[in-house]
Amino acid sequence: MIGAFVDGLTQFFLPTHLLAVVALGLLAGQDAKRFPVAAVAAYAFGLAAGSVLIAAAVREQNTGPVLLAVAALAGIAVAIARPVPRAVQALSACLTGGAVALNTPPQAITIPSAVAAQTGAAIAAFAMLTIVVMIGMRARGAWHRIGLRVVGSWIAASAVLVLALRLAR
Amino acid sequence: MLALLAAPALAHSGEGGAGGFLSGFMHPVFGLDHVVAMLAVGLWGVFLGPPALWLLPIVFPLVMAAGGVLGILGVPLPAVETGIAASAVVLGVMVALAARPPLWAAAVLVGAFAIFHGHAHGKELPDGANAVAFSAGLVIATGLLHLTGIAFGQFARWPAGRIAVRAAGGAIAAVGLAYLSGLA
Repeated sequence: MIGAFVDGLTQFFLPTHLLAVVALGLLAGQDAKRFPVAAVAAYAFGLAAGSVLIAAAVREQNTGPVLLAVAALAGIAVAIARPVPRAVQALSACLTGGAVALNTPPQAITIPSAVAAQTGAAIAAFAMLTIVVMIGMRARGAWHRIGLRVVGSWIAASAVLVLALRLAR
Repeated sequence: MLALLAAPALAHSGEGGAGGFLSGFMHPVFGLDHVVAMLAVGLWGVFLGPPALWLLPIVFPLVMAAGGVLGILGVPLPAVETGIAASAVVLGVMVALAARPPLWAAAVLVGAFAIFHGHAHGKELPDGANAVAFSAGLVIATGLLHLTGIAFGQFARWPAGRIAVRAAGGAIAAVGLAYLSGLA
């Protein structure tokens, strides 16, 4: 059980997931005066909904293009440092949470192990977003804010390149 | 015996996400014309001062990605390698002269060259599971080269350092000329 849980934790750490979740977290945390509860809650709802769909034997979905699109758009928004409406942030967060969950089906044979693995993946995904949001919120200094924007542009550029590659080939 | 003497193949080393990231990270680092042009962007940013200092490293990756998309989609761009070498020459000269054109002019110039760099990288982007890690490594390496240029450019605060930074610009232009003339 613990092994399956740890497998689930590590299964989250795919480059595509990290790009999308870090971009989303920076977007939600950038210039936020209070913890962005709506975005984080919507993300958690998306994760839970995606996990339930996986538990209901919905097949693994290739949600990579969705996550890359979120990473590209959120990265650009962070880079240009323009505020994005909270409703749009929450919608993107819900979509990302669902896409991450559907992209990480548990690699386990028994149901308890599968539940443990899916829980591990969801916890890793939730913890990562929360940490990045808090980093984004703490970036108050001029150079910290510029650093966030640079990271946003790097994420957007990486995501755009791979998205083009996936669409072209 | 001959098999034991053979040197290991180091290209595209590593497997999985980490290997893809490392391959992408080393991709721009092994092209001297790319390296000197990226350093020149950072150095020139120092002479241009804020907001160009931080705007160019933010804008460059985004425009480079647009150029990369053209390369991936197979949209032809004439004289890509010449454009990359020319970027080293022009940006090196700008640093050597400590030129301070209007921000829009600097952005247009750097953006135009970013298209050439991105097109070259886009054409060579590998398909497969490691594409995300590769492209992240490529973009981060490019960004770190900019930051290295900015860091070295801080020496320009002192008179002797200013001369050193401008001399570095001249050296960058010379490397670009070597590529343009086919010497490198």
